[in-house]
Amino acid sequence: MMATLEWVTLAVCSAAFLLRAPDAVRGRNRTVFGILFLGTLCSVLAVSELYEAVDGVLGGRKLTSLILRYLVFATVLLVGLRLMRGLAAARAHALIAGGIGRWALGLSCLAVTVTFFLMGTYSSQDGLQVLAGGEPNAALESYFTAAGRAYPAYVSLVLVPPLLATVRSRLPRLVRAGALLVLFGAFFAVLTFPASFAPDSWAGAQHVINYSAALGYVVGLVLFWFSGLISNESGNRNATLRKDRN
Amino acid sequence: MPLPAKAFQLWLHGVAPNESTADICRISGIKRTTLAQQLVRGKVAETTLVSISRALKRSPLDDLASFDSYAELVGPPQPPTKAELVSQIATMDLLRAVISRSSPAYGGFGDEGSSLTPALGPAPHATSVRNWVDSIDDGELRHRVSAATGIAPQNYSAQLTANRLSPELAVATARAAGVGFTGGLVATGLITEAEAGWPAQARQAALDGLSDGDLTALAGERLQSLGKTLRRQEQEHEQTKKIWENLG
Repeated sequence: MMATLEWVTLAVCSAAFLLRAPDAVRGRNRTVFGILFLGTLCSVLAVSELYEAVDGVLGGRKLTSLILRYLVFATVLLVGLRLMRGLAAARAHALIAGGIGRWALGLSCLAVTVTFFLMGTYSSQDGLQVLAGGEPNAALESYFTAAGRAYPAYVSLVLVPPLLATVRSRLPRLVRAGALLVLFGAFFAVLTFPASFAPDSWAGAQHVINYSAALGYVVGLVLFWFSGLISNESGNRNATLRKDRN
Repeated sequence: MPLPAKAFQLWLHGVAPNESTADICRISGIKRTTLAQQLVRGKVAETTLVSISRALKRSPLDDLASFDSYAELVGPPQPPTKAELVSQIATMDLLRAVISRSSPAYGGFGDEGSSLTPALGPAPHATSVRNWVDSIDDGELRHRVSAATGIAPQNYSAQLTANRLSPELAVATARAAGVGFTGGLVATGLITEAEAGWPAQARQAALDGLSDGDLTALAGERLQSLGKTLRRQEQEHEQTKKIWENLG
C-alpha cells in the first residue's frame, strides 16, 4: 500500500506538471509551473526505489534525504507566497514573507541540517517515510523528521484562515473547490508535524497523512488553473446595468 | 416539491389523450430527454407542466391547481396588492418614471403616467423575487416561511439573492404573508401576468398611483441595493481575477 501511495502521488504530480507545461511555455504564470516542477521532484525522491537510485549516485550517504527536505521547504515557501498573493491575504503573506516567516524557515533549515549531521550517515531515512531506524539514532531520527515537517506545517497553518474564507465565499464553484482541496492539503500538512512523534506502529496512518497533504496541494493548484481555463460566472449576473431587456 | 409523475401522466392523458410524448415535447419546446428523465425520477418540474399547458392553450394556473400540492390555487385568485404590483416593475422603469415626472428641463414631461413614457418591461425583472418578498414582508415573514416549510433561513435568502424561488416556496411565502398566490408565481417567472389574471395595465396603474415621494424613495432603495449587488460582484470579480492571475 505504501508503494502504491508513493507511485500514485508521483503520477498525479507528473500529470499536473505535464498538463501545466504548455501554458508555461507560453509564458503564463511560470511560478506555478515551477511549484509543480519542485513538487514533482519531491515526489520522485519520495518513491523508495527512485530515492535509492538517486542516493546511490550521490554516494549513498543519505544526503538525498537532506536535499529532499530543502526541496520541500522551497516548494512550500513558493506555494505559500503564491497562494496568499492570489487570495489577497496580506496578513498571511506577511507571516510567510516577513520576519517571523524567515525565522521559521531559517530555524527549520538549521534544525534539519544539525539533526542530519548529528545522526551521522547510519540512519536509513528516505523521502517522506521513516524506515526502521538504527539503534541510538531512533530519537534523533524522529527529530529530523519533525524538523523537516515543522516549516511546511507552519506555512500550512498560516494558509488555513484565508483558504477557509475563500471556501465560504461566493466565488465561482471551481475556485472554491480548488481552495477546499488545498485546505485539505494544508490540514494534513499541519497534522504531519505531531504525527512525526507518533510510535512506529502508526506508520501506515502517517504515510496516508503525508501523501494526502501533497495530493491536496497539487490537485488544488490544478483546479485553480482549470477554473481559470473555463472561467464560469456565479450568482445573479442579471442584476447589472448593461443587461439588455428581453 | 415537484409534481408526482403519476399524477402528471394522469393529467397529461386527460388533457391530451391523442398526442404522443414526442408531439407534446415538440409543441411545448421541452427536450424529450428532459421530460423522460423527470418521469423516470418520478418528479415533474412545475415549469414542464406550465410549458405544456401553455402549448395546449390551457390555463397554467388552473392546471397547476388540479394537483394536490397546489390545491390552494383553486378558485378565483386573490388579486395582487399595489405593493406587489410595483415590486414587479424593473428598477430602470422606476427610474424612468421618476425622470418622466420631473420637469422638462431634466428630460421629463412634468406629469404622471404620461403617454409619452415608454411602456413597462414585462415581469419578471432581474431582481423580481427579492423585491416581491420585500414588498409583502412585515419583518417576520422570513421566519414564518422557514418555520412553515423547514427551509433554513440562509438557503431561503440565497435563493432570493439568486433571483430564484421554487414554486412551492413561492406559494408558501404568499400563504405566510396572507396575500394572493399569483404574485410569487409571476415574480419567479413561472406564469405571466396575463396567465395570473392580472389586468393588462395593473402595474402601470399601481405605479401611477404612487406619490412622488413614495416613488422617489422606492427608486432610491432599489438603486441602493443594486449598487450593493454591483459592488459585491465587482469585488468578487477582482478577487477571482487575482486568483487566476497568480495561480492560473
